Amino acid sequence: MSKTTGNTRTGFYICHCGTNIAGTVDVEKVVDYVSKLPNVVVAKHYKYMCSDPGQEMIQKDIRDQNLNRLVVAACSPFLHERTFRNVASQAGLNQFFFQMVNTREQNAWVHLDALASTEKAIDLARSAIFRVAFHKPLEQKKVPIHPGVLVVGGGIAGIHASLTLANAGKKVFLVEREPTIGGHMAMFDKTFPTLDCAACILTPKMSSVKNHPNITMWTYSEIESVDGYVGNFKVNVKKKPRYIIEDLCVGCLDCIDACVYKEPRFFDEFNQGLSKRKPVYIPFPQATPQLVVIDPETCIDFKSNKCKKTCVDVCERKAIDLNQQPEHKEIEVGTIIVATGFKPFDASGVPYYGYGVYPNVYTALEVERLINASGPTSGEVVMRDGSRPEKIAIIHCVGSRDKNTNLWCSRVCCLYSLKLAHLLKEHTHADIYNFYIDIRTPGKMMEEFYYRMAEEGTKFIRGRVADIYPDLTDEVHRRLIVKAEDTLISEIIKVPVDMVVLSTGLEPRADANDVRRMFNITCSTEGFFIERHPKLAPVNTFTDGIFLAGCCQGPKDIPDTVAQAGAAAAEALALIDSGFIELEPNTAFVVEVDCSGCKSCVPLCPYSAISYQEDKKKAYINEALCKGCGTCVASCPSGSIKQNLFEDEEIYSEIDGILNYTNIYEVSECC
Amino acid sequence: MATDIEGIKSVTLETIYDTPEGKLIQSCIQCGTCAGACPHGEYMDYPPRRIIKMLQHGLIEKVFETDSMLKCVNCYACMVKCPREIHLTEVILQLVKEQTIIRLPAVPPELQKALENNYRYGNPMGESGRKRANWVTTSSVPVRILSQNPEPVDVLWFVESYPSYHPRGQDTCRALAKILNALEIDFAILGNEEKSAGECGMLSYESGLAEALVDYNMSVFAKYKFNKMITTDPHALDAFNYRYKLYDFGYEAQHAILFIMQYHDRLKPLLKKTLGYSVTYHDSCCLGRHNKFYDEPRQLLQLIPGIKLVEMVHNRLNSICCGGGGGGMWLDTYFKSQNMERLSDIRVKEAIETGADILAVACPYEIPRFEDALKVAGYDKKIAVKDIVELVSESMED
Ligand SMILES: Cc1cc2nc3c(=O)[nH]c(=O)nc-3n(C[C@H](O)[C@H](O)[C@H](O)COP(=O)(O)OP(=O)(O)OC[C@H]3O[C@@H](n4cnc5c(N)ncnc54)[C@H](O)[C@@H]3O)c2cc1C
Ligand code: SF4
Ligand code: SF4
Repeated sequence: MSKTTGNTRTGFYICHCGTNIAGTVDVEKVVDYVSKLPNVVVAKHYKYMCSDPGQEMIQKDIRDQNLNRLVVAACSPFLHERTFRNVASQAGLNQFFFQMVNTREQNAWVHLDALASTEKAIDLARSAIFRVAFHKPLEQKKVPIHPGVLVVGGGIAGIHASLTLANAGKKVFLVEREPTIGGHMAMFDKTFPTLDCAACILTPKMSSVKNHPNITMWTYSEIESVDGYVGNFKVNVKKKPRYIIEDLCVGCLDCIDACVYKEPRFFDEFNQGLSKRKPVYIPFPQATPQLVVIDPETCIDFKSNKCKKTCVDVCERKAIDLNQQPEHKEIEVGTIIVATGFKPFDASGVPYYGYGVYPNVYTALEVERLINASGPTSGEVVMRDGSRPEKIAIIHCVGSRDKNTNLWCSRVCCLYSLKLAHLLKEHTHADIYNFYIDIRTPGKMMEEFYYRMAEEGTKFIRGRVADIYPDLTDEVHRRLIVKAEDTLISEIIKVPVDMVVLSTGLEPRADANDVRRMFNITCSTEGFFIERHPKLAPVNTFTDGIFLAGCCQGPKDIPDTVAQAGAAAAEALALIDSGFIELEPNTAFVVEVDCSGCKSCVPLCPYSAISYQEDKKKAYINEALCKGCGTCVASCPSGSIKQNLFEDEEIYSEIDGILNYTNIYEVSECC
Repeated sequence: MATDIEGIKSVTLETIYDTPEGKLIQSCIQCGTCAGACPHGEYMDYPPRRIIKMLQHGLIEKVFETDSMLKCVNCYACMVKCPREIHLTEVILQLVKEQTIIRLPAVPPELQKALENNYRYGNPMGESGRKRANWVTTSSVPVRILSQNPEPVDVLWFVESYPSYHPRGQDTCRALAKILNALEIDFAILGNEEKSAGECGMLSYESGLAEALVDYNMSVFAKYKFNKMITTDPHALDAFNYRYKLYDFGYEAQHAILFIMQYHDRLKPLLKKTLGYSVTYHDSCCLGRHNKFYDEPRQLLQLIPGIKLVEMVHNRLNSICCGGGGGGMWLDTYFKSQNMERLSDIRVKEAIETGADILAVACPYEIPRFEDALKVAGYDKKIAVKDIVELVSESMED
């Protein structure tokens, strides 16, 4: 082991963490052993080191015993490194004279053998004690936080977060991929459990977003790249051409009437294909912004260059520009809220429910559009053949709770199935059968809602539907037979119905992985973004300054989405209003006397933090740009680049500490 | 390996929970998909869902007392749809079914007879073992029999009992022989040495019988050198690939259709005759749901010039069993006594509904079952049942 200079006085503290650590690791034995190591002046164990008495105990020791180094063996640094650094600095010690040992996650929680676990705790403690002797006093750099916020996704989550921040006086950039904001909520007629009209509560918020002086709303746009770090992100946004000059268009829609296609012929995305649109269209009457879009995939002029362009001629304001090019914007923001929402499960993934085979099998979202007054049938529930259903089956859990598709419960389908039962009954007076596995109605007013639906006469059948097929004996109607076991009476039942509604679950967006990579956040194997802590940091991500809101984090209803969006906005505000952030001082620096000026490090730095000083003929590292990745440190041929907290003697002594294995049982026997 | 069989004979809750597949029953959510998917579910006192719950509650003896599982036709319908992927058909229901049969006061005579025949003659119909290879004399191409010419061979064709003896099965054999010959495959059969693979012995449970047949066939295989095994019977296919493997069977058996499809480039120019049929294909349970071969049979049919494929209401994963699996082949009388609608009757109605000229199949049980059902429905003139290999061979004629 290398020699330290000066008089090192180390305090060592191991936490029980209730029984989390002490249940496996023999903390007394660890203290016993550690107290005999060189430089260790105090060694103690305590039930909860992070508690007030725990912290005070450490601070008292630092003062009374004149400690100049501190090692705490407890949980993960992620959770409490900051806590104990504060303990050190409040007791007058530079906070970097501290080293934390993770003996919970990396030891007690992952081992069953108490003896081996105790030995491991000792090895890790020894290693930290050896290392901390070489620590140097360091200062944290403060960098200002850019007050602007980027919100990605203009569903109800993104809308609510944007308005909250903008109302607090912050500058918001809201980037939405589709031609309009609103997300899924804009497609619904009414919302559970209160049955208030979705448009009535959503459209005012949509227009507030559009008109808010603090919000820059870019629809039909996508994020191209994200660089930088918390407080200082650089973001490139691509605005796709809608072939309309936004400032000139007033949304009169004359161009749609004038299009050479007299009748709408193309798949209308907003109406789930239940109606048709023209190549020039507006997604729905309340679309925000009130701007038309020209779809190059279906517009004749983009194919043949030979269209008469009646739309261009009719526009008095000359707002149509068929040669429009994508626009690229670069913005700087300090924080980012990801609110990209969900995608409904593709119902053809359960082939025995006949979606896409039998025209009278619908998805819930299609039915939302059918019921909607501004939908394809102006709110009249008629089927594809024009008839009105007299018997309707609503099938719960399609693409949820099923290992063949998605194992998770999508949380909102039971409730929206109940809502659809009510609305369909209201619109058609049909008999409604809800086939369910379990009815899940947690939350305020939800069970009451269920009660109301049951009172209305909706028939509930407890059984997952096993088969849907046309009744071949029914020449006239060819009704669909829904077959299931009613498990509560143990009977196999076959219910003939006119219409089937599949309550499809909520899935991550297809591009969740690309988004995850772009923002350097994490997602679970199924693709929902992961929050920093499931209970205590539900809207934070593992990347500082990036927050989550809405269904991109997991299925949830509108009330929860809005609550989460508000929380994400509050977290962003807290960061912005603190004005600055402290950077970890683990940056690299050049020891100029040793640098030969070979420049080999310059191109290696992934963050372009290294420059070459022509006058001195030496390399220079910009501390503000350095992320502490260590690439240059390892590559410098003359060993003249060092990195704070990872200097050679710190690393070597840490390794020495680990390898300096002593069998504690021999130790305890001999003593 | 005998211990394995002993294990099956004394099924207890412990033996069930001992296997990973068995443990899965703890995760059942009682959704009833299995019961609703089961083609015989409405006739069972205890459909699969209730059996799983009873097992969870430890009521294993009560489970063994019911004859519900005798009605299981091993069609895998419950298993493929179970949202918890519980291995119902493959494991749990098998164990229950065997115990059910062992404890029945009297095994239904038809089934009893078939099992006895299998034991005595090596085929369930009670035909003489010496006549097993008789069909070869009517083949238009030479078919090598290994006992007569024991030279090593590339492909061993396991013919199985229905194809060997049933007149319509023999048509399939002649067709396949012709195809293999045209594709210049080096193939041979075991001839009279072959005995039933024993799958039906296993699934309509009688482990002792299954074991005897496995031992016998394995000893015959040991006499000869071959590289691959093919068969037209999906049940035999499963017997080899799942059951015989436990007895060190070292080959991956292949269904004849998949084997032929490998030679698809060589086959295509041989299919000269245009067949102007509209064809609907019935997915057999073992080939389809169990082994997930839904596309290959359809692709082979589409190689034939002039064939138009139409689908029945229930197809692919959602196909309906012909009723012959799991011993159902010999339980028609028993099922009738229980007032159960015959599955083959239900299935042919769907086939007729398509308006197809041909109901194409890929399992030897299905030809006799569907032909009979069509006769009962009075539709035997309107739609014909053919094995896919028969159609291929027909298209090879000039
Ligand atoms: C059929 C159905 C009925 C429902 N009914 C109700 C109800 O009655 N009451 C209730 O409380 N909840 C209901 N819900 C749940 C409700 O839809 C969600 O809670 C809510 O829509 C979540 O909002 P969000 O903003 O998180 O996601 P979304 O609504 O999905 O919005 C996400 C937005 O982000 C955009 N986006 C996605 N990716 C990107 C990207 N990479 N870049 C830029 N923009 C992007 C999308 O275009 C979209 O506009 C229902 C759900 C379904 C499926
Ligand atoms: S389908 Fe599966 S989960 Fe559902 S009741 Fe049957 S065994 Fe249980
Ligand atoms: S395998 Fe088929 S017959 Fe047997 S229980 Fe399952 S669904 Fe019913």
